[in-house]
Amino acid sequence: MDTVVEIRELHKHFGVIRAVDGINLSVKPGEIYGLLGPNGSGKTTLIRLLIGLLEPTSGSVTLLAQAMPDKAVLAQTGYMTQASALYEDLTVRENITFFAEMCGRIDRAWIDEVLELVELKDRSRSLVRTLSGGLKQRTSLACSLAHKPRLLLLDEPTVGIDPQLRATFWSYFRQLASSGVTLIVSSHVMDEAERCDRLGFMRLGKLLAEGSASELRDQANARTLEEAFLRFAVGNMEGGEG
Amino acid sequence: MSSRRVLTLAQRVMRQVLRDRRTVGLLIIGPMLVLSLGAVLFRSEPAVIPLGVVNEDQGLTVPIVGSIELGQRIVDELTAGDAFNVVFLDHHDVDARLRDGTVQGVIVFPEDFSSKFQENRQVVIDLHIEGSNPTRSMTIIARVTETSMKSLAELVGTSFAIPGSPQTSEGEAALPVVVQTTYLYAGEEFDTMDFVAPVYIAILALFFVFLLACVSFLRERSLGTMERLLATPATRIEIVLGYMLGLGLFALIQVAVILFYTVWVLEIHYLGSLGLLFLVIALLAVVGVNLGILASAFARNEFQVVQFIPLLIIPQILLGGTFWAVSEMPKYLQPFAYLMPIYYANQALRDVMLKGWGLVEIWPNMVILAGIAGVLIVAGALMMRREVA
Ligand SMILES: Nc1ncnc2c1ncn2[C@@H]1O[C@H](COP(=O)(O)OP(=O)(O)OP(=O)(O)O)[C@@H](O)[C@H]1O
Ligand SMILES: [Mg+2]
Repeated sequence: MDTVVEIRELHKHFGVIRAVDGINLSVKPGEIYGLLGPNGSGKTTLIRLLIGLLEPTSGSVTLLAQAMPDKAVLAQTGYMTQASALYEDLTVRENITFFAEMCGRIDRAWIDEVLELVELKDRSRSLVRTLSGGLKQRTSLACSLAHKPRLLLLDEPTVGIDPQLRATFWSYFRQLASSGVTLIVSSHVMDEAERCDRLGFMRLGKLLAEGSASELRDQANARTLEEAFLRFAVGNMEGGEG
Repeated sequence: MSSRRVLTLAQRVMRQVLRDRRTVGLLIIGPMLVLSLGAVLFRSEPAVIPLGVVNEDQGLTVPIVGSIELGQRIVDELTAGDAFNVVFLDHHDVDARLRDGTVQGVIVFPEDFSSKFQENRQVVIDLHIEGSNPTRSMTIIARVTETSMKSLAELVGTSFAIPGSPQTSEGEAALPVVVQTTYLYAGEEFDTMDFVAPVYIAILALFFVFLLACVSFLRERSLGTMERLLATPATRIEIVLGYMLGLGLFALIQVAVILFYTVWVLEIHYLGSLGLLFLVIALLAVVGVNLGILASAFARNEFQVVQFIPLLIIPQILLGGTFWAVSEMPKYLQPFAYLMPIYYANQALRDVMLKGWGLVEIWPNMVILAGIAGVLIVAGALMMRREVA
C-alpha cells in the first residue's frame, strides 16, 4: 500500500462558507502529516470529512484503501477530538477501555502502557469529572490510542498541555510513526510543525502549500515557518485577486 | 447592589431566551395547546351509551286505583332521553352482550319490580355494568339514577304517589331510588384507585424513562462523546440498541418497583397474571426509552427536553384513553388516540388488571406496542445527530 490517506478534490460547504474548498492530499504509511492553519481554516472540518463524520459536498476520501464512508475502516483509525470529549462520570481507565472495546479490541497490557505514556497511571481510577483540563486532554489522547490504530487523526492534541509533556507526546508520535502508524496532526503552533515529516498550510479551506518544513521555508524564501506561512497567504490572496 | 448590573443581567437573559425561538414559541403555544385539549375533552358531549334492558316486570294492580307498570315507565323514560340507546335483551344474554361490548350496561327489572316498590317504598334498580372503565361506569350509574328519579317524579300527584312516601315526612331530599350495581369484571371490592391504577402505571412507566433517555442521549451530544462514538465502527442502530438495553435495565427495575408497590403496598386489586402485567409495562418502558432517544435529536439543551412534556407527554395522557374513553372523545380527536403508544398499553393493562384477560386476548395490543418500539428504534437511529447545533 503506497498511500494511507488519499483525498481528491474535496469540498465541504456550509451555506456560503467554504470550510473545505477543493483539497487534494495524500499521506504515506508511517508519515506524520501536519495540518497547519489559523482558526476557522477548515482543519477540523477536513479531519471530520476524513473519517466520514461529515458528508462531503463533493470529492472523495480513501482511507487504508477503502472508499469512505466505511465503518469497518474506523476500527483501525484513532480520532482525538479538538475538545476533550469524555464520559465525565466514568474513570480514566473506564473511558479508555470503553473506546477500545467499541473498536473491537481490548488489550489490558496495552492500555496500561498507554496510561503510562500519558502519565495517568496513578489517576486511572479518578473520575474524569475531577480532572484538570490538561489531564482530560491526556485522557482524550489515550482514548484514541487504546485500540492500536494504524492511522491516527489528532485535532490539536497538544493544546493545554505543559511543554514538558508536549515534548514527550511528540517523541511518542515519532516512535509510533517509525513503527508504521500514520499520523495526521492539526495545529496552529508553528514550532510543533517542525517535527512533522510533511506539512500542509491551510487557509480558508484551501491547501496553500505542501512540503517538509525546510522545503516550505526555502520555497517561500523565509527564515521561519511563520514567515513562510504569511508569504504563502499573501501570495494566495494576490493570486486570488488576479 | 447595583441596579445597573441587575438590569444588564436581565437584558442578557431576555436576549438569550428570545434567541431560542422554540422556547418563546412554546411559552405561548404550549399552554394554549394543553388548555384547548383539556377544554375540548371536558366539554365534549357525552356519547350515547348503548344500554340493555331486561324487562320482566309484571306490573302492579291496586284495587280501585288501577294498574301500573313501573318498569315500563322507566324504560319509556330511558328511551325518550338521548343519553341511552336502549336495546331489549333476554336475561340469558346479559353477560355475553356486556362482554362483547354491544351494550355497556344492562338494567334488569324482575317480575316483582313494581310490587317490590309497593312493599319497600323504594325503587331498587338492578344495574349490570362491564366495569373496566371507571368514568364510563360512573356516567352510566348517574344517568340511570337521574332517569329513574324523573319517571318517579311523574307519579307524584297521581294516585300512585309513593304510598306512605318519605317525602311527606322527610321532604323532597329523600330519594326513593337505589341503584345496585353488579360489575361483570372487577368485583365489589374494587375501588376507584383500582380502576385508575392501570393508567397510572402506564403514565409512570413512560414518563420517567422518556426523560432519562432523552437527557442522557442529549448529553452524549453536548459533551462531544457522540462525535467520538461515531468515529468508531459503532453504527447508529448499535448505539440506539445499546442505549435501549442499558436504560432498559433501569426501566425494568422501575417497572418491578411500580408493580411491587401498587400490588403489595397500595394493595391494588388486579385479576390477570402479574407476569403479563410486567411484560406489558416493560414494553411500554422500551417505547419510552426509544421515544426519548428520538426526541433528543430535536433538543439542543436540557430545557428543550423539558419542553417535550407539554408537547409529547401531556397529549399522550389526555388523548391516549387514560381518563376519557377514546369512543367518547370528539370524532376529530379519535385518530390521534391511535397514534399514542400509551393508548395500547392502557388497553392491555386494563384488560389484564380489571378483566383478568390473558395473552390470548391482549396480544394484538402488545404486538402494536412492539411495532411502535421498532419504528422508534429505526427513526431514532436515522435522526441521530452528531453535533448540538
Ligand atoms: N456545522 C457547521 N455549520 C456551519 N459552519 C461551520 C460548521 N462547522 C464548521 N463551520 C465553519 O467552517 C469553517 C472551518 O471550521 P473548522 O472548525 O474546520 O476550523 P478549524 O481550522 O478547525 O479552526 P480552529 O483552529 O479554530 O479549530 C469555519 O468558518 C466554521 O465556522
Ligand atoms: Mg478545529
